Amino acid sequence: MALKALIGGLAVVGFSLIGHAGHPKRFAGLFSAAPSVAVASLAITAVLKGADATVLYTQGMLIGSAGMLAYCLVSLYLIQRLHALVGSILAWLAWLLVAGGLYLVLGS
Amino acid sequence: MEGDVLQQDDREPVGFDWSRLASVKPAELGLRFVFGTVIALIAAIAGTAAGPRFGGLFLAFPAVLPATLTLIEKKEGMTKAWADASGGVLGALGLGAFAFTAMLLRWNPVGALLLALVAWAAVSAGLYFLFRVTGLFLRQDRLVSRAGS
Repeated sequence: MALKALIGGLAVVGFSLIGHAGHPKRFAGLFSAAPSVAVASLAITAVLKGADATVLYTQGMLIGSAGMLAYCLVSLYLIQRLHALVGSILAWLAWLLVAGGLYLVLGS
Repeated sequence: MEGDVLQQDDREPVGFDWSRLASVKPAELGLRFVFGTVIALIAAIAGTAAGPRFGGLFLAFPAVLPATLTLIEKKEGMTKAWADASGGVLGALGLGAFAFTAMLLRWNPVGALLLALVAWAAVSAGLYFLFRVTGLFLRQDRLVSRAGS
């Protein structure tokens, strides 16, 4: 678990550096939604527990990515009104509603 | 949101300027590292406690975006932060393609993860260039602005 956390953190830093160097800003934004934690977490789970154990994680992640899409769309609306800090934190509710709702309907 | 700033930024050629990395402060990287480790830990704990499918949800949680967007707004203004989130919409569709392709893990873990990364890059960048070339970004901007007015 600690290894997943460490490598996940490093992967996030790596992808965010690539995004920081990228231009224009919309192109750089692609890296804001990069699968940084997922790559690290799935790779370590596959090594430690076998490939079969990771498939359920990817199914959950597919549901979570619908939440990520909702998050980004809602943050576009909220950032204009409430600025980045408040808008992007409030947009977490959109992720929670969409990912949580879909999980309850499809995933649990 | 300033339309002229956005249009000017959109006209920049696509690429990477690695010299920009010199302006990144260690504290900013530390903040991202902390958010990254915390969400990876939450995904692992949730997977153990409530099942891997539940834990998998958090592999697509936007943990680092608030920090990223706030830093961009502070340094470059709100329009640039908005543009970054706008790119994130397309990146999120790529993230879905990553998760879908990664389901092939049972077949070949290393191959599936590499293929999933290619799927993320192809879908995200493919959509970006499609939106850029066809003017769909402009339509999206108008739609979001109208929804907010």
